[in-house]
Amino acid sequence: MIVDSRAVDRVLAPASAGELAEMMRSETGTIAPVGAGTELSLGNPLEPIDAAIDTRRLDRITEYVPADLTIHVESGVRLGQLAGALAEHGQMLPLDPWNGPEATIGGVVATNAQGPLRAVGTVRDWIIGMQVVDSGGRASKTGGRVVKNVSGYDLAKLYTGSLGSLAVISEISFKLRAAFAATASARLRPGGLAEAADVIREIRSGPLEPVSLVWAGPEDPFVAVRFGEHPRAVEWQLDRLPGEGWERFDAETESAVWDAVRDRYRALAEPVVRVAAPPSEARAVIERFRPESWLVHAANGTILMTAGVDAIARLRERHPTLVERAPREVRLQAGVFGLTGAEYDLMRRVKTAFDPEGRLNPGRHVDGERPA
Amino acid sequence: MKPEVIDKLRDIVGADGATDDAAELLVYECDALTLFKNSPDVVVFPADTEQVAAVVRLANEYGIPFLPRGAGTGLSGGALALEGGIIIELQQLNRILSVDAENRTAVVQPGVVNLHLSQAVAHLGLYYAPDPSSQVACSIGGNVAENAGGPHCLKYGMTTNHVLEVEAVVADGTVVRLGSKTGERIGYDMVGALVGSEGTFAIVTEITVRLLKKPQSVKTLLAAFRSVEDSSRAVSDVIAAGIVPAALEFVDRRTTEAVEASVYAAGYPLDAAASLLIEIDGFEVAVEDTQASIVDVCRRNHAFEVRLARSEAERARLWMGRKGAFGAMGRISPDMITMDAVIPRTRLPEVLTAIERLSEQHAMPVANVFHAGDGNLHPLILYDGRDADQVERIHALGEAIMEVCVGVGGALSGEHGIGVEKKDFMCMIFNDDDLAAMRRAKGVFNPDGLLNPGKVFPSRPSCSEVGPGVTRTAEAARRIDEYVRGAGEARA
Repeated sequence: MIVDSRAVDRVLAPASAGELAEMMRSETGTIAPVGAGTELSLGNPLEPIDAAIDTRRLDRITEYVPADLTIHVESGVRLGQLAGALAEHGQMLPLDPWNGPEATIGGVVATNAQGPLRAVGTVRDWIIGMQVVDSGGRASKTGGRVVKNVSGYDLAKLYTGSLGSLAVISEISFKLRAAFAATASARLRPGGLAEAADVIREIRSGPLEPVSLVWAGPEDPFVAVRFGEHPRAVEWQLDRLPGEGWERFDAETESAVWDAVRDRYRALAEPVVRVAAPPSEARAVIERFRPESWLVHAANGTILMTAGVDAIARLRERHPTLVERAPREVRLQAGVFGLTGAEYDLMRRVKTAFDPEGRLNPGRHVDGERPA
Repeated sequence: MKPEVIDKLRDIVGADGATDDAAELLVYECDALTLFKNSPDVVVFPADTEQVAAVVRLANEYGIPFLPRGAGTGLSGGALALEGGIIIELQQLNRILSVDAENRTAVVQPGVVNLHLSQAVAHLGLYYAPDPSSQVACSIGGNVAENAGGPHCLKYGMTTNHVLEVEAVVADGTVVRLGSKTGERIGYDMVGALVGSEGTFAIVTEITVRLLKKPQSVKTLLAAFRSVEDSSRAVSDVIAAGIVPAALEFVDRRTTEAVEASVYAAGYPLDAAASLLIEIDGFEVAVEDTQASIVDVCRRNHAFEVRLARSEAERARLWMGRKGAFGAMGRISPDMITMDAVIPRTRLPEVLTAIERLSEQHAMPVANVFHAGDGNLHPLILYDGRDADQVERIHALGEAIMEVCVGVGGALSGEHGIGVEKKDFMCMIFNDDDLAAMRRAKGVFNPDGLLNPGKVFPSRPSCSEVGPGVTRTAEAARRIDEYVRGAGEARA
């Protein structure tokens, strides 16, 4: 198996949380947890590893109680498998990360993977509990199995997006929501940056509440919007989209729009960064940097764009910026997180506290970069 | 405490910024959980972040315990100075620093009162969603510490879902900024770890929160039922219909009697065994329809009265009964403990039956008013604090109720926190390994434990004395079966 250009011969595939803990207890070297392998180059360049833990056999939905709007799943369950089970009961987890239905839910959580539904939240908002195994093979749980819970510290927040650097996730509990009663989408091909930015500002400031709002460019630019609601509310919102020239898509045809958005994400020219700029500043960032390609979660202001090492440094002067998809050299030079000062120090302490010997995904997280 | 410490504190916060006067300290010997009391040695009122940090550094220098306090409305003893020391009172840090209407965010100091923020941004068509029952008094800093909820978190989430960025003073006095203005997490989600850490990780000195657009339309209705079972089925059916109400609240008969005899009288039917207060919000074109579906569900489940609020005044009145319920209890009981637990919503009828049974066994009246939509119970135990025997019985009853809730797969707290109140119940759910992981997180922020000592973790050194959580849970599950059966037989 190749993990972030590191070859590893020793691949362990536990079939239960108990087996996972046992394997972790007997391993003495460095370990890389791996799901479906869709996001293996996210994070700082991985240091040499002795073993990979393949979670794909942890593939059971351990409990699903539709009436309680909760589901408990092992970390190797595929997103598509999960969505299918929920759809049977008219329920959903509003997650549509770029890596698609083949991704494991554990991988989605560990990488904080996002897609167009970013407008209604990220995976952290839906997690109610988690079970993990640490590098010493000790299993522990955090949170619980009910939709609301403040019993003890919320360690699930730390594990989410931690790139497998603190513990290996064995099981996750989610709260759920009812599937959208109806959905529809629309797409606009704006004349220029100003038109796109104006339309987005109007959508955001008015009464509309899109579940996805994406702006892509510069070639073949478009603004895509999706509504998910009561059918009449969907219609009402479509009728009130600002500006002229919206092409409408109903529930049957809208996948064409979002498949194209997905293609656009995949086609973003590397290095791709994730810029956390307020929505009102998206246009200014794009005008200033003129990226080769971009995709903006326009409802939230998260900008995915092409940026080289110099541009990354300049972006970070104003906005927190994550290197999302980039060759090894760029990640090494720029540092994936670009954190500074006391924030960096605290995160470094998190890594040391949870993985004192630095055996889990060594180098991947803040342990792989110096403060900017 | 050494007089030189008081002098040095006054050097930091000014002569008027600190008090060690015994009479003044009385106010600070507890928060809204009045069952536990201990006085701090001194209370300081810092005026800015730098003063907070300087006080914290001084406390470290002398090895003195310290803790933050907001409005003191917490219900788990989070602001209790268990080992004395310094209370850092943040009420002076009460300014809304900025509002960004276009990006729908606000930057506030921790002492800003929850409701004041929503009032301040109302003219922009915005509001701050988390709305704990104490929102007229509680501070946003306290909300962050406890990850406060409220009736509307059913649809809109808890405090943790609305905090984007914080500035905080960690236990060694370092000032740190965590998170980002958009909520995007770059690196570990430190904000997520901090929110709900009950004032044991850091003292938050500035908070960037998300604001929401006010919904176009809000509909509120009250449905009255002759049996708890019918009301519970109505709750389940509403959820099963794919409706996400903005709030779904339950009020029992005892609460109704207290409310209707008080200034909070809201016209709740006195002959109802249970009333549901249901609110939906959203687009004008959709809410009528959704409301009709809800009325239909309630009628199918034998609601004998369904009352729609026809005006903002009627809506406010219906809510007054719910939000005033805690205050109204003062009419029928000198003291009250508001418990907090979460159960899977589908187990509501049996758990309420069990609580009723326990209430009889312990000869302590319990009223139930709670967030039914998410299964977040608030049993109110009524007692007389002057009667030592009653106080003793509360603890036993409280523990028994928690065992029932945990036994059906529930949680120790939905929104009040663990604090001192429930720290010894933690072993009902968590084993030593779970707690060890939590201690690691605490060690990152508060390695010496000077910040807010004695909270969250059980006082006994190991949970294994009572067996791992699972064993305890299975025991409790057997016990709940007993209660439920017993209650059934008693009725027959």
